[in-house]
Amino acid sequence: MKRFKTTKGLIGIVLLLAILLVAILGPMLIPADASTAMDMHARRSPPTWVHPFGTDQLGRDMMFRVILGARTSLEIAVSAVVMSVVLGLPLGLISGYFGGFIDNVLMRLVDTLLAFPALLLALTISAVLGPNIQNTIIAIGVAFTPYLARIIRGEALRVAQMPYVEAARSSGTTDIMIMIRHVLPNILPAVIVQGTISLAFAILAEAGLSFLGLGTQPPAASWGLMIQASRDQLDIAPWTALVPGLAVALTVLGLNMFGDVLRDILDPRAK
Amino acid sequence: MKRRDFLRSTTALLGSGLLGAMPTVLWAEDAPVKGGTLIWGHSETTQNLDMHQTGTASSGRVLQSIHSSIVTVDKDLKVIPGLAESFEVAPDGLTYTFKLRPNVKFHNGQVMTSADVKYSFDRCRDKATGAVNFEVFNNVASIDTPDDATVVIKMSSVNAPFLSRLAENGAGVVMPKDSGPTQGTNPMGAGPFKFVSYEVGTVVKMARHEEYWDGPAFLDAVEAREITEPTTRLTGLRTGELHMINDIPLDRVSELQADATLQVKTWFPLNFDFINLNHTFKPFQDPKVRIAFDMIIDKEALMQGALWGQGATTPSPSFPTSASYNHDLKQRPQDIEGAKKMLAEAGYPEGSLNIVFKATTNYPYHVEAAQILVEWFKSAGVNLTIEQLTWADWLTQCWVNKDFQMTMINFFTLWEPDFLYFSVWNSTGAFNFRAINDKVIDDLTVQARTVVDDTARADIYKQVQKQIWEQSHDIILWFRNGTIGAQTKVGGLDTVVHPNGSNLNFHKVWLKA
Amino acid sequence: MTYIINRLLSVILTLFLITLVTFAVTNILPGDVAMMIMGTQSNPEALSGLRQSLGLNDPLLVQYGHWVGGMVSGNWGNSLIFKKPILELLSQKAVASAIIVIMSMMIALALAIPLGVWAAVHRDRWQDTVSSSSALLGVSLPDFFWGIVMILVFARWLGWFPSSGFVEPSVNFWGTLQHAFLPSLALGLGLMAHLTRMTRSTMTGILSQEFIRVARAKGLAERTVVWRYALANAIGPVITIAGLQIGYLFGSIIVMESLFGYTGMGWLTYQALLNRDLPLIQDTVFVIAAVVMLTNLAVDLLYIVIDPRIRLG
Repeated sequence: MKRFKTTKGLIGIVLLLAILLVAILGPMLIPADASTAMDMHARRSPPTWVHPFGTDQLGRDMMFRVILGARTSLEIAVSAVVMSVVLGLPLGLISGYFGGFIDNVLMRLVDTLLAFPALLLALTISAVLGPNIQNTIIAIGVAFTPYLARIIRGEALRVAQMPYVEAARSSGTTDIMIMIRHVLPNILPAVIVQGTISLAFAILAEAGLSFLGLGTQPPAASWGLMIQASRDQLDIAPWTALVPGLAVALTVLGLNMFGDVLRDILDPRAK
Repeated sequence: MKRRDFLRSTTALLGSGLLGAMPTVLWAEDAPVKGGTLIWGHSETTQNLDMHQTGTASSGRVLQSIHSSIVTVDKDLKVIPGLAESFEVAPDGLTYTFKLRPNVKFHNGQVMTSADVKYSFDRCRDKATGAVNFEVFNNVASIDTPDDATVVIKMSSVNAPFLSRLAENGAGVVMPKDSGPTQGTNPMGAGPFKFVSYEVGTVVKMARHEEYWDGPAFLDAVEAREITEPTTRLTGLRTGELHMINDIPLDRVSELQADATLQVKTWFPLNFDFINLNHTFKPFQDPKVRIAFDMIIDKEALMQGALWGQGATTPSPSFPTSASYNHDLKQRPQDIEGAKKMLAEAGYPEGSLNIVFKATTNYPYHVEAAQILVEWFKSAGVNLTIEQLTWADWLTQCWVNKDFQMTMINFFTLWEPDFLYFSVWNSTGAFNFRAINDKVIDDLTVQARTVVDDTARADIYKQVQKQIWEQSHDIILWFRNGTIGAQTKVGGLDTVVHPNGSNLNFHKVWLKA
Repeated sequence: MTYIINRLLSVILTLFLITLVTFAVTNILPGDVAMMIMGTQSNPEALSGLRQSLGLNDPLLVQYGHWVGGMVSGNWGNSLIFKKPILELLSQKAVASAIIVIMSMMIALALAIPLGVWAAVHRDRWQDTVSSSSALLGVSLPDFFWGIVMILVFARWLGWFPSSGFVEPSVNFWGTLQHAFLPSLALGLGLMAHLTRMTRSTMTGILSQEFIRVARAKGLAERTVVWRYALANAIGPVITIAGLQIGYLFGSIIVMESLFGYTGMGWLTYQALLNRDLPLIQDTVFVIAAVVMLTNLAVDLLYIVIDPRIRLG
């Protein structure tokens, strides 16, 4: 049992490393043009020796697109999640630590954002700021913030009641110091676990946003954009969805396996 | 999900040169039978049902079976009698006299009189109505009804396209007097089908109008089910849930044509597409740059790429069979090296031009075309980046605020040349969103309005086309096909498409037993 | 009791905040319905006429006052694109959405609970991996992907369900359920992953607790221990997550309903947004936000009932 657990973690780490390697080395080894070069005589070609993963509706090689799209997708996902952590962490921390009135006000704000359809937010950002990768990150980051803030608040609430926090308080340590020294380290495991899960959602969120014109702008490749483009051809060219879909699936799988192990290591309660 | 063809309406009359009818299906030999309910998978959501207030193709397509207009057009786009059995234009072009058909019955059983016509036209003219086509009546001085069967319209100045614009429901529709307030929820007219019900977003139901002036329809009823997702619509046709669908995705046309259990009808042209260059953007003020851009594009390859061959390239936006179409023009062939040289001469050496191309997701084939363009422009040393915009954003940014460098849009072929060339290319034209300001075109389009002789007038428009092409003000690409797919049991499919290429009329359609 | 009163008061405050945010965001959105109606036929003169007739020219504060005042007094205004009273549209469409929200949640729970329990019982063995991987597959591809797969498999190839559309429940309730099934199944698959993980982790925690060991020691069948004793204790947190997912679900139905031509609230919201029908956007967004919030409230209250030990705060 113990052995399996480490195997699982190992698989997760290997998967993640492999994906990171592809994302980093891909653009170094493969010319950028390879993902946009079109072969109008091989549109929607199923996997062949020439195109091992098939081609899309414009005759572009799916293998090159999925490899070169890795970096864009991961960049968007990581940036968006980092952004939501940066925004949500102080919000949740302050809310959970102080409780009472501050908590009430902040959480009502979070509730408002939670109840608000992300689609409206995305449309507004796209229309006002313009469709590009940076604004896509903003849209996803802002949409994820309330979820993170909620989870962090819950954790902070729990930790703030711990005897050692009480002790620090009675010894006259300032609130800010307590938050940084005692609360933050103890909620970090939950943040990391939530973060890894959010990464997967962020990759998919980009697919949804592409539909509205936001997201990676064509002809550049990203997994989300590729999945989106497969929408109207699923029945005649299923590989156009399965290739990027599998890439997302492996990433999600790797992240979750890794996340589980990470939680076991970081969180002493989950024995 | 939403593909909307705008600019249907009165202004966009066009013919239906029929191409690519299914050779394997010989429905024409069957005699029509009466009865049955046709289930049509409609590609768009019907909105406001008030014929005057709606400008969207979706509503117009449905309302075509419910309403009749005072005049209409035949398939050669000649204006012919509709609810008026005859019409007369005075030699000075200032007085129009319509003699109404006797015994035309509205869906409520009332007999149409000149009072209904006056009511309908007055309603369209009234700004408070919010009619999309109110400007059709801009030059109208008075509408008189000397008797029940006569309508006399006096103009304050000549308005040559007036009659042809009455041939579409947006302006020429006749509604029962005082029915205006309920038209939006219960459209009523004198068309072949009566409105029964509309479940918003789901289905419009219509039933045969037994007293239709042109003889009752074959079908008992028509159900227009609204299915906006192309894959879903195709599936509905294949499983037999739907008898007919409009707007087959262009990449699927050949696949359906190969299916013996279905019939496919394509017609030409549905609309024309052109690439637009903003003339207030410095590089595009130089004709050399515009011509070089034209030379970078292989139009035939672009058409094959974006439309999957469902269209025909053209250097002129004039209706292909119209007298004013300039057959002397040829599209510039692709010449990347030549384009590079011209750009360098204009002061833009390789790598110095960075252009944003705004493409609307409303027309997915525009986004595909843009992606192909990026590759060609890259090889010509021009860095093209795409920004995708929703339809609302495209309209706001490109159409109204003129905030773009390069974009692309389509128009239903405007066959009336004054309307086409004046509004799109005259510096004061309502649709001149590229801010084109060409003295030659301005003079020619104004001059043409005073020329009575048809040939001479056509010649002037040929010069306009030549000027547009020589200056490469826009890059005219192609005429795009319209498409319908149906079960083999649907008869009379040839009659479904209105000569304007957008509206559908089920008057002469039937279901085989 | 004070907790409940506080909670209700905060709901009202949140609803007020939602009206503010909704109104602000919809007014930042460039473009208006007049332009959407006229499309490429719009020109300044015609647009201003249409705007006037649609009442789009009032000052913002007046519009906000009208909107909130109207909602309170039961006058929700008219949709500018559909020319129908919004309240009438909403009441029709809400039923449709309620059906798929409930159905998809039931499908998700029906799949997730057994899968999660199975994984927890066989913790860290291959069954665990299979369970979590298959659940993860559900979230590795977006909703619309599963929607199209459902259409292709169950409508086109098997012909078991209609490919699209909606039937009024009052006309044919069985037909309504048939139309609702495929979109619900696609949505359920997306919801399943999180629920499976939640079930697994709560169950793992409970299975290692003292009372389970006691029950086992008493010689109770393993099946009874797991399904009767452990699951009964694990169900609370699972339901909580399910409740919180209602918010996510209302985001998903926008895409899924449009895909299936299943015309509920999600579809209506999407139409309103695309067409810049401001009154309709504001009302639909407000209703969705209110429903999501009230569901969260209900979940919180339910939680107190299920587990009275919960700290109120």
